[in-house]
Amino acid sequence: MNDSNRKLYGELGELTRYIENTMRQLRCVEAPVEETTAQLPQASEHLSDLAKLTEEGTHRVMELTEELQDNRRLVAQSLKELATVPLGSPNSTPADRLAAIATLLAADDKRLMDIMTALSFQDLVAQRIKKIITILDDVEHKLLQMVVVFGAKQNGAQTPNGKADQMLKELEASRSTALKQDLVDDILGQFGFN
Amino acid sequence: MPADPSMKIMVVDDMSTMRRIVKNLLKQLGFANVDEAENGQEALIKLRADKFGFVVSDWNMPVMSGIQLLKAIRADEALKAIPVLMVTAEAQKENIIEAVQAGVSNYVVKPFTAEILQEKMAKIFK
Repeated sequence: MNDSNRKLYGELGELTRYIENTMRQLRCVEAPVEETTAQLPQASEHLSDLAKLTEEGTHRVMELTEELQDNRRLVAQSLKELATVPLGSPNSTPADRLAAIATLLAADDKRLMDIMTALSFQDLVAQRIKKIITILDDVEHKLLQMVVVFGAKQNGAQTPNGKADQMLKELEASRSTALKQDLVDDILGQFGFN
Repeated sequence: MPADPSMKIMVVDDMSTMRRIVKNLLKQLGFANVDEAENGQEALIKLRADKFGFVVSDWNMPVMSGIQLLKAIRADEALKAIPVLMVTAEAQKENIIEAVQAGVSNYVVKPFTAEILQEKMAKIFK
């Protein structure tokens, strides 16, 4: 075998090793990518639901507030009439008018209670937000796993396999704790994300 | 037996706004003696420290969930007879089944109205 063939053979071997390595790395991230692909639409759906819940809840409260405002005008008008209509009027007695005002006020009691219950949309919104935060935390975790797996031999950042494994273990351990920002920054810094 | 308006009621929810809403609705329905807890564990401590006639609990809560609280109540000799109403956004069939098997007295899905709360309480305390 002459020199140029030997050189070509060596480069083919190098290329084959590179492809094999990349395939191995791709297999490592296949599962995280699949899971992330499934989770992101869920997060979008939750966000759409949030917009809908807040809109519906707000409209309901505004509707009840407007009804209260209308009713208060009626009560004010009735009270004004009560003060001006002569006693003994054939159309209605003061007692009848007061009873009518009491009925209007009772209706307002119900509207005020309905406003309270309508505001429960805030609780549903908060629950959806928690679910979205959980999904995003999970996606962030998986993306970092991919950064570690793929970034071990990128851009001259020759991070030994031992270090990458260590980082993956720390990342996994940090899942249940809130204090993982330093680890995240460390990993990103190692692989050129600044 | 109809509900006693003076009975002490425990409202359990990790959202303070939700506790306030339920407390207000109970007040409108004539029940003013209401205490609160933000998770099942806190509720259990308070339930064991005083005499309560009714528990209204959310499902999803940190530390101890509503279903865990319900099971703990039913396992406690001193508390097991207290009626428990689950008020929750979880409306899946398996959740309802789990709650029934754990001994829930009734189940309300959020969002709910004062009328629904009243109706459920009337069924519990008939």
